[in-house]
Amino acid sequence: MRRDTGCNAIDHAISRRAMLAGSAAATAVGVAGKVLPAETKQLATQQKRILQVFLQGGVSQLESWDPKPGTRYGGPFRAIDTSVPGIRISELLPHIAQRMHHLSIVRSINIKTNSHQQGHVFMERGRRAGVFPYIGTVAAKYLAPKTASLPGFMHITTRGLNDNTNAFLPAEFAQLKLPGAAAPENLKHSGKLTADAAKRRNELRRRLSQRFSGKVGQPAFTDSYDSSYTLADKLLAKKGLFEGDPPPKELERYGSHPFGRNCIVARKLLEAGSTCVKVTHHGYDTHAENFNFHLEQLAEFDKTFCMLLDDLHDSGMLESTLVLIMSEFGRTPKINQRYGRDHWGTAWSMALGGCGIKPGAVVGMTNEEGTAVAEREVDGRHLFHTYFRALGLDTTDHHDIPGRAIPIGDPTGEAIGELLA
Amino acid sequence: MSNAINSDEPAPPALPEDAPLPIDARKTHVAAEFKHDFPLTTCRIDPTGRFVFAGAEDLNVYRWSLTEKKEGDKPVAKTTFAGHESWVRSMDFSPDGQWLYTGGYDDHIGIWRADDAQPKPVKMVEAHKGWVRWVRVSPDGQLLASCGNDNLVKVWKLPDFELVQQFEGHKRYPYAVDFHPDGKRIASFDLMGVLKEWDMETGKELRSMEAKFMWGFDLKFRADMGGARDLRFSPDGKTLAVAGLTEVTNAFAGVHKPMILLVDWDAGKHRQKLKVDSYKGMAWGVRFHPEGFLVAVGAPQGGASGALWFWKPGEEKPFHTVKLSHCGRAVDLTPDATKLTIAQFDGKLTVYQMTEKTAS
Amino acid sequence: MTHPRTSPIALFSMAAFLWFASAALAAEQQPVHQRIDSLLAASHPQFASFAASRCSDSEFHRRIHLDLVGRIPSAKETREFLDDDTSTKRETLIDRLLADPRHARRMQYVFDEMLMARMPATNVPDAEWRNYLRQSFLANKPWNQLVLEILSADGADPQLRPAARFYLDRNFDVDLLTRDIGRVFLGVDLECAQCHDHPAIDTYLQQHYYGINAFLSRSYLFTNPKNKQKQLGEKAEGDVKFTSVFTQESSQTNPRMLDLPEIPDPSESAKQYLVKPDKKSRGVPTYSRRLKLGQAMIAADNIDFRRNIVNRLWAIMLGRGLVEPLDVRHEQNPPSHPAVLELLAEEFLQHNYDIRWMLKQLALTEAYQRSSYAAEEHRETAAKNFAVGLLKPQSPEQLAWSIMQATGAADAALATKEAALLKSDPKFGAGRTTHPLWREEALHDALKANVDQFALKFAGQNGQTTSFGATANQALFLMNGPLVDRWLLPGSNNLTDRLKKQTEPTALADELYLSVLCRKPTVAEVAEVTEYFQTVGDRDAGIQEFVWALLSSAEFRFNH
Repeated sequence: MRRDTGCNAIDHAISRRAMLAGSAAATAVGVAGKVLPAETKQLATQQKRILQVFLQGGVSQLESWDPKPGTRYGGPFRAIDTSVPGIRISELLPHIAQRMHHLSIVRSINIKTNSHQQGHVFMERGRRAGVFPYIGTVAAKYLAPKTASLPGFMHITTRGLNDNTNAFLPAEFAQLKLPGAAAPENLKHSGKLTADAAKRRNELRRRLSQRFSGKVGQPAFTDSYDSSYTLADKLLAKKGLFEGDPPPKELERYGSHPFGRNCIVARKLLEAGSTCVKVTHHGYDTHAENFNFHLEQLAEFDKTFCMLLDDLHDSGMLESTLVLIMSEFGRTPKINQRYGRDHWGTAWSMALGGCGIKPGAVVGMTNEEGTAVAEREVDGRHLFHTYFRALGLDTTDHHDIPGRAIPIGDPTGEAIGELLA
Repeated sequence: MSNAINSDEPAPPALPEDAPLPIDARKTHVAAEFKHDFPLTTCRIDPTGRFVFAGAEDLNVYRWSLTEKKEGDKPVAKTTFAGHESWVRSMDFSPDGQWLYTGGYDDHIGIWRADDAQPKPVKMVEAHKGWVRWVRVSPDGQLLASCGNDNLVKVWKLPDFELVQQFEGHKRYPYAVDFHPDGKRIASFDLMGVLKEWDMETGKELRSMEAKFMWGFDLKFRADMGGARDLRFSPDGKTLAVAGLTEVTNAFAGVHKPMILLVDWDAGKHRQKLKVDSYKGMAWGVRFHPEGFLVAVGAPQGGASGALWFWKPGEEKPFHTVKLSHCGRAVDLTPDATKLTIAQFDGKLTVYQMTEKTAS
Repeated sequence: MTHPRTSPIALFSMAAFLWFASAALAAEQQPVHQRIDSLLAASHPQFASFAASRCSDSEFHRRIHLDLVGRIPSAKETREFLDDDTSTKRETLIDRLLADPRHARRMQYVFDEMLMARMPATNVPDAEWRNYLRQSFLANKPWNQLVLEILSADGADPQLRPAARFYLDRNFDVDLLTRDIGRVFLGVDLECAQCHDHPAIDTYLQQHYYGINAFLSRSYLFTNPKNKQKQLGEKAEGDVKFTSVFTQESSQTNPRMLDLPEIPDPSESAKQYLVKPDKKSRGVPTYSRRLKLGQAMIAADNIDFRRNIVNRLWAIMLGRGLVEPLDVRHEQNPPSHPAVLELLAEEFLQHNYDIRWMLKQLALTEAYQRSSYAAEEHRETAAKNFAVGLLKPQSPEQLAWSIMQATGAADAALATKEAALLKSDPKFGAGRTTHPLWREEALHDALKANVDQFALKFAGQNGQTTSFGATANQALFLMNGPLVDRWLLPGSNNLTDRLKKQTEPTALADELYLSVLCRKPTVAEVAEVTEYFQTVGDRDAGIQEFVWALLSSAEFRFNH
């Protein structure tokens, strides 16, 4: 018998099951294999999607989801009541407080790292180590309908790392980065090509490619290459999403700052059929003036995010949209001499809601001064399982890529059952 | 007694025995130290010189006596002013020292009897939507000016706290306000380095000046950093001193340099920018000493070497610097200007004497 | 045992040994490339029935250029090769390309990605490290020597400081290094064996992980106070203990290479220093465990070291590893053709770890020289058995250079460089410009920034697998990006310019196809070109569109 240890490396997944099928099959990675039967894992009934708001730099849990006013490290902000009796959050989130009944809070995250990079990938991959696909890639692969009119995983960010988001999954599920509310890079031709000419030469390309692909018969490669143009075409067809200024009324609601504009685009992308839209809000790495900066950042986030939440709710999309508000870690309880808080993966929070999530719940707690998790410790593994269980994906199942089978969620972790609706 | 500063100078004449010791900033030394177990946010000495008050991160204000003789090892008694729900960063008094006004990050101004044995707020006034960043009493004691995170500067009539003026115009948080000594005008300074002058009579903005070098935009983090950490008119009203920062290179790591800006008020020009180039951090407090020099405190970006600087106007470098045991957050002078107090990050409230040490 | 040579291989795999023995007995005198083909043919009873035929000269010519010098050939080179009647022309070309300075650049790219996985340079500048690699390949430095240098570098010796990048830019994180040393040099991924014997893979043991770990665990990153450079110091004590998270059993190990015996510390060396570690000096012990790592790695008894590299060289040439992914070899993911792997590993030792020799043998195989086109009913079987040319996605660097080659951007840049040299050095300039090394370096310096842009857009799996995936961003880059668009505009004798001047339809199609796809067009394709121009109306526009379509086609994107 084998223990399912949930250790992370790919080779765990080169399972006996795959080997029994014959060693040749196991080694024919991505060469002669057919295009994957992704449909089998797709949720056929209704498209589900993710709105992921990433508060980059590490939002302070004490200034957001887990306030401790009046305690040693509580800082200057007060806690306020919310629409859910018994749940109190920071006064910096007054709009969210009124909508708390749509969201739940996890207050007991301990990821045991204080590194931006490690924290980020742990929260995204649900694995502490090893190269695994990001939340958005997994969503794009298993939740996006074949007929989707946009790339499955789109990330609106003004900065950001060059992440390997798709790991061993096909590159068509990798994040497509949008530089803010602007169109993706190269969406417009840099020279004088007319639309007709672009279409014409692209059709010629397709014809030439097909002729070659038909002769070599390695669809795993040639189909992926061709699909990259199909995705590009889809983006081009939706160019309008990125054009023109939003109506003044929308800008007034969302805010005319970059985050406001980014969230308007995020909504448009979700409405247009993208499966995971990640919006990064920068500016939480507050090693100095934590309170002044959180005051401004969270004011921007709170109002804007709530407009987006309202729109999803009003259009009926919230039921099928998992909403995540996350960071790579939280911030130290201890306030440093620059009125800053530093990196802190030991005891922090996030919020989530929408599709499949029980609303108005609080999971876990930290101790009185917020220096440690007191109850129900969880980390990136449990959260990852929770997201996809909420979306109806069996995370104990495997990524079935040719020759290998890799557990979707880390087998040493499991979903946070009390959060699942 | 030796006078080693300049051996060419003749020794000063001997003083009569009961005369106060002359001010000599170079002789500044610790006269007393009060300890608290939370970081302090600010400090003020009341106009009678009886007490020093300090705000702390535990949301309270504390009072120590400056006149009480210390008996043996027993620490000087500390009195707690509890009533705010957030930090107090600014305080002021009625001219007679009977009333204490506290501006809190809980949007409220607290009104207290300064010498209460068991203090309770007489009143808590909801003064701003968002932090009350600064409070200042007018020279005649009739008015109190405040500013806060609603971007407003407000003027209240004392003692009943009737709102008599509201100045709108700052686009970002005003950090501090001060009355001109003529009592007719108010100055305020905001996050972006914008300095405004307001007319008490008409309620109009008189002037708007900029000190953009006391603000920085961190391109990487897209964040503004700036504002006044202290703001003071000189007693003659000719100069306004602004304590804060300059040369922001990384807002989120707190990489910048301290700055004291002296504004020639009548001309509306920057008279001098006092910097300490070798020092990274923030200037948190500034006072005009009646003998013509400036006193300022600062906190470093890292390490514990807080600084107390003494400047002569017109000179580029401080003529004297005292290293503090930790970051200084505020400085204030006793009415006789022989002593100053400093609120520190490590919870210490330090009293310095700016004269020769005496035997006692 | 009656085998004429005693071989350590026998200790590792009896099955492999038997295969190898029988094959070797039959084919002892044959050149290695023929023995490879014999083994492949013998691995499947119907091999001959499904094997694709020998590739055409133009297929071979394009393929070998991409593999050995990292870019497609020019139209002129292709014409010359097609016109050459010599029967040994393929072998002659292989030799010529292996001796070409562009080959060292190609190897630099491949090994940079393999060793450093495109991680950011923090302590050793990229340029120094890459130059070190390129110089090593220019000199055809044996693989064992290169690895010995890399694993023995401490960053203090200025000569070999670039080699220390493997350690230094991993910030000497011992766990990361243990894993990467396993993956990159031994072809095993021991990550899970850090915490417990591998639950699914019997051959990955905790002692393997900690055996490698023990070479490094006494060493640490040291900042030289004089020049602020990071270097490696080492302590003279400290042992590696480990506990299984499952069984709670604890154990201890000295340095060891997988299943090879532990390497004991010499007893007299305990806690002895040449330089004692303190704030100012990096520790240098009398006996260095770290310096033993390189030696143990390249020792003849460490056959996994050779299996790993020959598998990687095989994957570079044949399109897929005998073990795939390249860094996950274990009992349950065995080589698809173990006898081939063992043959290569043994011959690589016999030929003194000579990479060029090995690449030549692989290039000479029938397997390498098979067409990519197989009959539809045989495709899958043929692909599994290396009986058809497999598609190899061009690396970002290959793609950049190939597009610049096809469009004439490379020729134009070189011409500019030549003119500049002739001007600055009228006396010897002309002579210098003919020197292949000068030409390679001048071209590289002129166009490096473009290559970097491609690397940013197209970098993917970082050298551990031959799988492929393409993104919308990449397609948009080729469709609308300014680089490709600029190269399509007519300019001093570049491709579009030459095509514009060519009025005869067949000659035009010839030049077009030879320049971009490195082959002559079929009759139907010639007609297609002519017809396309007619549809467009504007011939100049049509030329640019057609060139773009060919550059963006699958036939161009892959090495086949």
